[in-house]
Amino acid sequence: MKLNVLFGGKAGQGINILGHILAEVLVKQGYYIFQSRDYQSLIRGGHNFNVLTISDKPVSSNESKIDILVSIDSKTLEIHKSKLKENAIILQEEKENMYFAGQLVKLLGIEFNILEEELKNLRNFDENLAYSTEGYNSIEKKFNFQKQQLKLSILDGNKAAAQGALNSGINFYFAYPMTPATGIMNELASKQIENNLVVFQSESEIAAVNSALGVSFTGARAMTGSSGGGFDLMAEALSLQGQTEIPLVVYLASRPGPSTGVPTYTSQADLNAALYSGHGEFPRIVVAPGDPKETIEKTNEAFYLAEKFKTLSIILTDKHLAESEYTLSEQPNPPIQIKTQRALPGKQIVKSSSYEHDENGLTTESPELAIKNAESRIKKQNQIKKEIENLHPIKMHGNQNSKNLIISWGSTKGAILDAIQGIDAKFLQIIYIQPLSEKVKEEMQKSSKIILIENNSTAPLGDWITQNTGMEIKNKILKYDGSPFLSNELNKQIQGALNGK
Amino acid sequence: MENKEKIQTKMPITWCPGCTNTAVLTALKKTIAKLIDEGARQEDFAMVTGIGCHGKIFDYTNISGIYGLHGRVIPTAFGIKLGNPKLKVLGFSGDGDAYAEGMEHFIHAFRYNADMTYIVHDNQTFSLTTGQATPTSNQGFKSKAEPLGNFSKAINPIALALAAGGTFIARCNSLDVNTTAEIFEQAIKHKGFAYIELMQNCIIFNNELPKLSKLMYNIETNKDKSKAEKLVKEWDYSTKQGKIPIGIIYQTQEPTLEEKCPQFKTNFPASD
Repeated sequence: MKLNVLFGGKAGQGINILGHILAEVLVKQGYYIFQSRDYQSLIRGGHNFNVLTISDKPVSSNESKIDILVSIDSKTLEIHKSKLKENAIILQEEKENMYFAGQLVKLLGIEFNILEEELKNLRNFDENLAYSTEGYNSIEKKFNFQKQQLKLSILDGNKAAAQGALNSGINFYFAYPMTPATGIMNELASKQIENNLVVFQSESEIAAVNSALGVSFTGARAMTGSSGGGFDLMAEALSLQGQTEIPLVVYLASRPGPSTGVPTYTSQADLNAALYSGHGEFPRIVVAPGDPKETIEKTNEAFYLAEKFKTLSIILTDKHLAESEYTLSEQPNPPIQIKTQRALPGKQIVKSSSYEHDENGLTTESPELAIKNAESRIKKQNQIKKEIENLHPIKMHGNQNSKNLIISWGSTKGAILDAIQGIDAKFLQIIYIQPLSEKVKEEMQKSSKIILIENNSTAPLGDWITQNTGMEIKNKILKYDGSPFLSNELNKQIQGALNGK
Repeated sequence: MENKEKIQTKMPITWCPGCTNTAVLTALKKTIAKLIDEGARQEDFAMVTGIGCHGKIFDYTNISGIYGLHGRVIPTAFGIKLGNPKLKVLGFSGDGDAYAEGMEHFIHAFRYNADMTYIVHDNQTFSLTTGQATPTSNQGFKSKAEPLGNFSKAINPIALALAAGGTFIARCNSLDVNTTAEIFEQAIKHKGFAYIELMQNCIIFNNELPKLSKLMYNIETNKDKSKAEKLVKEWDYSTKQGKIPIGIIYQTQEPTLEEKCPQFKTNFPASD
């Protein structure tokens, strides 16, 4: 049983909280959910909508056709009419958001008290209870989502990255607000006291990244984060990291560019920014988790690798992963314990320089030292490459014996997993992009047909694979309208690509 | 002063012979030696420098720190202070470094009021890049990049600092090593963000300090805000008119960021 529910209305009408409450009710009832948010860059008015996909089996994407449409304003039905299935249910009234929560719970055949429990987590409990009771009593039961014995919870990518950072013992998060990375700052800020963490909103991303390097120099664990524009401002300091070798973790949640682009929508167009940002030649790690569970684990690994190799770790997500709600059905791997084994100021004299420098941190212009230091940076990148082979740098999904290979990275994972159901294909998910695992080439050589899927227009992962393996991928499924892949559409595209020449 | 010798590294000094940066290094060594005599350890100090002639002081001073980016001394030093509040953190910038690219940080540092010291070597020129105008160069200042003369008005950094809510604002004459060392010491001992505008010379591109020194006069530490408002305006950087008060132009006591932020009451520095 699978349903796609669309909630639409104006910004400020509580669409997102309505979708969230329903998602909470459904996971408590033992159902898998996936919920995406489509909202405009404004505070009140406009048109926002969430799509909540509900299933008794694992699900990690939306579909294009809607089973139930909830219209809190007069425009939603008009805008989304073409997406409705033939027998779609339309709930449209001039009512408060929680009225519809009551209606939906009744429609789905769920006990009211489960909703009532969830309402206790919101403000204005009495009013919300009254609205939802009215809604519950206004409609008849239509589905039978009876209790399933599954222990599930909800998580988005931003909160997952925050959890991964907390699991790593983060002491400082410096940032400047920028959608869609703001969620991690808010999440960490709400947990700073009990975790002995300082979240500081700097005057700019440049300040944030330089302060992160400053605290990291003292042995504290630091992270900064932003989206593309803010990340660009950090570029010079990323290069400073390469020279000073002060551990640094950067969270990059991308959105469509260039420039301000479509700021509240999604895109995977910043892979090259993550791979190449910063002048000079220096090692780095770019890790792109595909769902919140992986985001918890890979954020912890990013901290571990940054500290172990005194290097730059970039955690690359996008709006779709950062702000969509996923079902967490199993616990993440226990975090790697991170040890700080560096000379620290206060204990001894430690000098760290942006100039090429000798072993004491003093400036040098010696060609011999220039060669030695450059080669040491190359060697470090090779050591990281060996280390990540122990950290599941890639994952294989689908039919392991298939000769049809799909390659992708990051947030497309959810739609691809749902889309390849029933298709003879295996899916190679690349999690560590820099360094790239040797296994990528091995898997490609074993396959007869390869399809690359990316949520951008120029397929930077394809170029990166060619650069690293010498192999070119001709079949590409690319989407760059600001929205994520939908599994039923992607299923058709994959079948088309497999059946083509 | 045995400590004074340990405070300098063995790096050969590459400032021009006669550069006032050498006097600043002497004053810094004197200050650190005095604080070590009073019980501090050499490991208790940390410095951050920008890029420019001033930055070379990093290589010559044997204390911890980061030789950072041009313009980014303040956020880097701020990070070191928050990461380990037990450290005495000193930031060093040039006037281009502090007041051009670094202005976005300069103006906010007074709001944050972290307990650190910030020293700006102000010779009113970008010297290491061969003498272009900085934000404190006078109108009409000529260089290879401004052959028609600098059209822009100069900023008055100490007036800005006062307007931004500075709790320790001082001006020093780098030719006067003893007074400079005393003010360095007062700045380090001040609880809060201490800012020093250090009047310097560039013997190659802007050899003005001997002339300006004649306009300078020493003041007693001033804690009166309205008097400070007059003092900061006495010297006009644009027209090079007026008198130049030297000393602590304004000092007051306000809670530091570390005092206001409850996380710092426990378990910091994080690395312990």
